[in-house]
Amino acid sequence: MAQIELENITKQFGDVKALDNVSLTVRDNEFFVLFGPAGAGKTTLLKTIAGAEFPEKGLVKIGGNIVNHVESKDRNVSMVFENYALYPNLSVYDNIASPMRSKLYKKDEDYIKTAVDKVTKMMKINHLLERKPSQLSNGQRQRVALGRCLVRTPNVFLMDEPLAHLDAKLRHFMRGELKEMQTSINSTTIYVTHDYMEAMSLADRIGVLNHGEIVQTGTAQEMYYTPCNEFVARLFGEPEINILEGKKYAREDSVYVKVLEQDVLLYPSEDTIQALKETDTDDIHIGMRGNDIKFAFEKPGDEWLEGTIYANEPIGNKVIMTVLIGDTKLAVTCPNDTVAELDQKVYVKFNMMNAIYFNGETQKFIIRNNMSRYMAEKREG
Amino acid sequence: MENQGQLVDSSKNKKIFKILEPIGRNLGLTLFAMFALFPLVWMVVCAFKSDAQMYNTVFIFHPTLENFRAVLVGTDYFRAFFQNLVVAGGAVIITVIAGVPCAYALARYNFKKKEDVAFQILSFKFAPEILVILPIFLIFQKIGLYDTYFGLIWVYQLITMPLLIWVVRGYFEDISIEVEQAAQLDGYTWYEVFFKTLVPLIKPGLVASALLAFIFAWNSFTFPLILSGFEIQTITITALRYIASDTVHYGQVAVASTIAVLPEVIVALFIQKHLVRGLSFGAVKG
Amino acid sequence: MAQLILKNVYKRYDGQKKKMFKKKKKKENDFAVKDVSYECQDGEFIGILGPSGCGKSTTLRMVAGLEKITAGEIYIGDVLINDLQPKDRNIGLAFEDYALYPPLSIYENLAFNMRAKKKKEDEIKKAIEYVAPLMKIDDLLDMKPSALSGGQKQRVNIARAIVRRPGLLLLDEPLSHLDGKMRQQLRQEIKRMHHEIKCTTIIVTHDQMEAMSLADRIVIMKEGEIQQIGTPLEVYDDPANEFVAGFIGEPPMNLMPSVIEKQGDKYMFTFEGSELQVEVPKRYNKVVKDKMKVILGVRPVDVLIAEEEVSSTPVPVAVYENLGDERRISVRVGEMLLSMTTPEDVYYETGQNVQLVFHEERTHLFDPETGGRIKV
Repeated sequence: MAQIELENITKQFGDVKALDNVSLTVRDNEFFVLFGPAGAGKTTLLKTIAGAEFPEKGLVKIGGNIVNHVESKDRNVSMVFENYALYPNLSVYDNIASPMRSKLYKKDEDYIKTAVDKVTKMMKINHLLERKPSQLSNGQRQRVALGRCLVRTPNVFLMDEPLAHLDAKLRHFMRGELKEMQTSINSTTIYVTHDYMEAMSLADRIGVLNHGEIVQTGTAQEMYYTPCNEFVARLFGEPEINILEGKKYAREDSVYVKVLEQDVLLYPSEDTIQALKETDTDDIHIGMRGNDIKFAFEKPGDEWLEGTIYANEPIGNKVIMTVLIGDTKLAVTCPNDTVAELDQKVYVKFNMMNAIYFNGETQKFIIRNNMSRYMAEKREG
Repeated sequence: MENQGQLVDSSKNKKIFKILEPIGRNLGLTLFAMFALFPLVWMVVCAFKSDAQMYNTVFIFHPTLENFRAVLVGTDYFRAFFQNLVVAGGAVIITVIAGVPCAYALARYNFKKKEDVAFQILSFKFAPEILVILPIFLIFQKIGLYDTYFGLIWVYQLITMPLLIWVVRGYFEDISIEVEQAAQLDGYTWYEVFFKTLVPLIKPGLVASALLAFIFAWNSFTFPLILSGFEIQTITITALRYIASDTVHYGQVAVASTIAVLPEVIVALFIQKHLVRGLSFGAVKG
Repeated sequence: MAQLILKNVYKRYDGQKKKMFKKKKKKENDFAVKDVSYECQDGEFIGILGPSGCGKSTTLRMVAGLEKITAGEIYIGDVLINDLQPKDRNIGLAFEDYALYPPLSIYENLAFNMRAKKKKEDEIKKAIEYVAPLMKIDDLLDMKPSALSGGQKQRVNIARAIVRRPGLLLLDEPLSHLDGKMRQQLRQEIKRMHHEIKCTTIIVTHDQMEAMSLADRIVIMKEGEIQQIGTPLEVYDDPANEFVAGFIGEPPMNLMPSVIEKQGDKYMFTFEGSELQVEVPKRYNKVVKDKMKVILGVRPVDVLIAEEEVSSTPVPVAVYENLGDERRISVRVGEMLLSMTTPEDVYYETGQNVQLVFHEERTHLFDPETGGRIKV
């Protein structure tokens, strides 16, 4: 139970700036997800809070106290390491019991047994208690590591990619378990992942990290619907959001955009016109998600763009069709029985109500339709 | 299964090979074992021969315990044996106490010229002992370390320390730093982490390299030859004593040597498995 | 261009001791591949899919000639190739590891095999100029392998396999080293390359998404045996057994152990440790009995939340996840979570009671003993 504040944290490894002036507040009892591509500095940030790395500059505060010079054992945090960091010489049971056997968090053996039983049942590893880590699969090791972390009730949980090494099936279910457990955890949790679904599912708030800098913080909805720039937009959603490069043409009371050097005009929705007009560049990028693009094999009308099928990939419950228009590839989500030949002609139309507009020069967010709805959620959060 | 027939067919011509292969392999191994063991056997045989029979090459002779009597009763061989134990054992203990922290530091901390320091330590092992023996002899005489336990134990570090540091360092490097960090987050102090988590993990390497170091120290010849006089005598030196001015008592030399290698052979047989495992596997592999 | 036929192929490793967690298996020499038969048509793209250790790579290596065949026959075209040397089988092979010759340029790397076969220089040049644009490596021909990224190296690796225009192209986990985005791109390139040269191709993978998106037909293996062969849609919609059902599809199919209970003239699914009861689809009435144990399989997209009164028991929502592209809702059923997905923009509070209905046509029953599908 503690609020975590980071103030201007800078951490360098040799010439590489792992963290660059990061400031962040994680509220008490919040489930905060650090999200970003590999090498963004997520793990370093986590270790800074744990006390396993020490920043060159900046303050780390847990529960209002500066802990820069507090040893990690006295910070009362519990961590899952990405490489598990299990004790190779101890059994699964002893690994999980380990935090409750130290002088600091001493519990009696009966208590330990109940606690270990409870957590191993939840992680579905209760049949492995006697094994050594070397006799486990990676997925099992990861669950042991998670168990060792959750067995205690610290001020802060730190979790570094705790589901990354599980297979897709198990990951799906463990995410559900974690999410369900969340309500009963009375601790601040910081969770590192590179999987956007984990981030969106679990997080109260998400912090997007790139090159050691915080790019955006906010709820999952904000990240998905109002990303602050194209980088963040690309991180959330599968298939990746399509970014169309367009030219803006302003009329007196309306605006239209031409994309992909085709003659079709795209008309932004009413409430976005003002902001688009005020944008000081004519280069407008339109973010368009795969399920907001309609497609047809016969040309239904003039407002449809023409392209060819570059790829057509059935993935079970849907088909991802890649449409080539000029040099631009668009990912379109289609129903799972869609059959198409490669290089066949196809026509697409955008749902402009869900378009996200970016400044073509800076790649920064301008506006989207129905902003008030997502802003309202922001206030609640 | 109808395919079974085919299955047998294809392996028929292999059958002869399958029988011959182990026989050939064992034959080769036996030959090599004879080649490797011959000096040892020769030494033991010599120990039971009288001086008169020493030079015949026939294996038929009248075994005698005369040499044993001469060595064990006639001289203070046991004193030398004990002193050798003290010097070699002492050297290994010091090496473990100083070498393990040193290996940890070389594995974990980043400091300037770290690799150079590590290499410097290793390079002690490259230099022939004879190269440094004269200056050390002169210095030892000046500061009163000549012919003392401490002097020998100290100088033995040249033999024992580099080996142990390099093996144990490798073990520390194999343990991910996260294991240490995890243990600290579990609420253990650094010393508890070191003794409860790290020491068990480096144990195979530590034991193997310490025993190897012990054997090297036990066998050392040059250092005790020059740096010890009458007070401290290791058994490697005592063996020389049976070379009298008029004749060489090969039988007695053989007895001295046989007893000297006895602990080594016992230790080696006993720890053989651990030795191979300890020196070839890392800490975390399983 | 060729057809590939495997007839009752077996593989057993000599003296192979399969140690799984130090528990010795009963038989020391289990078959790594058991009675594998399939036909791969000329120009077809086949995916061999299965978890690690299922024998899929072994099968591929037997086709390539890198492993001896214990029993059975493999034909390429009409030719029995059991005893042919790998080099005489006219096969192109690309492994997960790139294994390019570091001192040679990409061009030289591609030319290497043809030079070994004493092909003419202009012939080699023509072949490379045809293949390079297919794999999008025409800009890289003068570079050394060390200057390339992982994705580029894998492109070169595949180009090298097809430059000799083999009758059969074998790809062993070619994408598993690459990160998500690169993998997706290369997946498309491979598919387009196949579309262009129409070479019979076999890809081995453990990633169901990869197999689904690339292959015309998928061979699903487990413990050395073929579980099902079919098009991506067939194995998704019509799984032969519980294993296939659970392995194919993301998010995975809900597989719930259930006991059937007769209530009046209706059969209901009941679940241990849960209040939930759902009516058994009418079409199963002939095959189900009272107190029968089954495993109910239903994909998350085929579970719906009823808007009006239905005969299923209301259960509380355990997890609600908004993933942007879709919403996932799970309810607790005994020890398991039963999840459903919907693209609709809906919201449910945790703990709110909902009534579930299953898409009747798309529920599957499996035998808990054998894992086999119970068909109507």
